[in-house]
Amino acid sequence: MQIKPVLTALRRHKAGTVLVVLQIALTLAIVCNAMFILHARLSHLSEPTGVDEANLFVIANQWAGEQKSKQEIDAQVRADLIALQQLPGVLDAAPSNSYPLRGSGWDNFVGLKPDQLQPTSDAAVYLGDEHLLRALGVKLVAGRNFRADEIGTLGLREEVHPAQVIVTRALAERLYPHGSALGKPLYSMSATPSTIIGIVDRLQTQSVDDWQRAYAYQSMIWPLRLDWPSGLYYIVRARPGQLAAAMREAPKALLALDSQRIIDPSDGGSFAQIRQRAYDSDRGTAILMGIISAVLLVITAAGIVGLTSFWVGQRRKQIGVRRALGARQRDILSYFLTENLLISLGGVLLGVVLAVSMNVWLVVRMGAQPMSPLYLAAGVLLLLLLGQGAVLAPAMKASRVPPVEATRSV
Amino acid sequence: MLKMTHLSKVYRTEVVETYALRDFNIDVKEGEFVAVTGPSGSGKTTFLTIAGLLETFTGGHYHLDGIEVSQLNDNARSKIRNEKIGFIFQAFNLIPDLNVYDNVEVPLRYRGMKGAERKQRIMDALERVGLASRAKHYPAELSGGQQQRVAIARALAGSPRLLLADEPTGNLDTQMARGVMELLEEIHREGATIVMVTHDPELASRAQRNVHIIDGQVVDLSEEPRFHAHNARVADA
Ligand SMILES: Nc1ncnc2c1ncn2[C@@H]1O[C@H](COP(=O)(O)OP(=O)(O)OP(=O)(O)O)[C@@H](O)[C@H]1O
Ligand SMILES: [Mg+2]
Repeated sequence: MQIKPVLTALRRHKAGTVLVVLQIALTLAIVCNAMFILHARLSHLSEPTGVDEANLFVIANQWAGEQKSKQEIDAQVRADLIALQQLPGVLDAAPSNSYPLRGSGWDNFVGLKPDQLQPTSDAAVYLGDEHLLRALGVKLVAGRNFRADEIGTLGLREEVHPAQVIVTRALAERLYPHGSALGKPLYSMSATPSTIIGIVDRLQTQSVDDWQRAYAYQSMIWPLRLDWPSGLYYIVRARPGQLAAAMREAPKALLALDSQRIIDPSDGGSFAQIRQRAYDSDRGTAILMGIISAVLLVITAAGIVGLTSFWVGQRRKQIGVRRALGARQRDILSYFLTENLLISLGGVLLGVVLAVSMNVWLVVRMGAQPMSPLYLAAGVLLLLLLGQGAVLAPAMKASRVPPVEATRSV
Repeated sequence: MLKMTHLSKVYRTEVVETYALRDFNIDVKEGEFVAVTGPSGSGKTTFLTIAGLLETFTGGHYHLDGIEVSQLNDNARSKIRNEKIGFIFQAFNLIPDLNVYDNVEVPLRYRGMKGAERKQRIMDALERVGLASRAKHYPAELSGGQQQRVAIARALAGSPRLLLADEPTGNLDTQMARGVMELLEEIHREGATIVMVTHDPELASRAQRNVHIIDGQVVDLSEEPRFHAHNARVADA
């Protein structure tokens, strides 16, 4: 179909055209951005933490009853660990202050010099003993694990800066991008250096916030047992296939040793539960964005169907005249398809500008990522197809207007 | 050129069957100028829409340019309308969204004609109807007579062999009507076959032949008295 006569005729229907162009533009801008954010969230949702998620569970142990001394707590923690490690379904167990995806947790600036004013980066702090790597199931890729004699204790309001530290590969590369970080020092908010003795492949931080995305895999482990009066976490790794049994037996064993404790059911749990809890709001956002996008697309399609049906009704006579002058049914069909394509092209053109502006605003104001042009291309294609699909039924109806309509008086 | 034999057209609605045409016979020769008259509701427009392939008929035969048209599919009918027939309607039926130039261009585009030839033909046709200077005007900006002349230019541009006009002067005052009629006569002199429905006896008298339709049938006025005389003679005998 020729474009020029369709365009000239459209100029006489500015109001409806402009409305649909704006609607398509807005829909494109919102849907592209929503899909981009949604995809970022969803991919975030399935990124591996680096731990053996299938077999891992966490016990949130809070001390109760009369206050124990630091020595009493440490003795109890060690007794607990031995009891957990001896359970038949358990592969290993370790103490810690936190676990990946917990939501929030201990986080330190790290630098390369003792008197550094601007920190080099940021890292999540995990405490643990020589069992922690095995309990988490993280892979040591360089250096060594802690030895038992290197493990210290951390009581309430104590400040300890251990001589050794194990870091993730992400952190090692951030601190020492050129050459190995092994054996090199790391200063974490102190003038005392910690020597990097081991590097693990991957261990995600506690936080899942968007602003933390850049640091998501920068973690370090200090050889310390947490002896705070409030409590600690036990990281327990079950033998393959024995997670359920181990999760049943572990609390019983601990309570049998000492009943002066509370195991918090709303914290820790199996890693599947932890992951679920961590990304609850992300999943909610994703669903909401998906629904908003779908609703917008439906409204836009309905708008196109409505306007085209109205125009077909309005132009019955002229369709009849065109048929009388020699238009075939498919000429009429393609007239309306072309008309819609022109309107949609105007809409997506404006929409791309809007979508990019919206994304730039999100990047500047909300720290979002710049949108990949693939989303724009997919959005443009989606809206063009949506337009053609929406216009098809009214256009078919138009093509069936009989030529004799030309002779009917209105 | 145009030959209908025993043709009938029935409009069926849920309640009634209307015979708009019955046992309808007509033969229009190439190059003739025929005026069709008849009372309101007699079937003149129905005849013209069937003649112009705007509508199908119920029974009988219709040969256009030697082709039996009832066999043709929609695309073939569209092609014949586009190439052989020019329409002039009482209500002009210009497309309001298009200017004069673009209106005249419509049938030429459906023919798939090249841009240069289209332009040539459009300007020629507008020249003939004396409206070349109004090419950029929209229909709403023209008088009724001017609109009808644009419609004639649109019908002419494709150089059709058959021109069908349904009360082309019905919406015009006498002076405008005269102008339109002169234009049609000129087109006829150049060789086109014209069938024109009209209520105006003066215009009808200017055609070569008059066909009168009553109740969906052709009545040949010139032969009617003879028919009676013949009957009378039979009665006498
Ligand atoms: N679409 C239709 N449905 C039903 N009946 C119709 C239809 N079109 C025409 N008729 C009927 O067919 C008959 C002939 O109508 P037609 O329009 O051909 O008359 P006409 O001679 O052109 O009249 P006028 O001089 O008023 O224009 C009328 O009785 C009319 O009511
Ligand atoms: Mg009529």
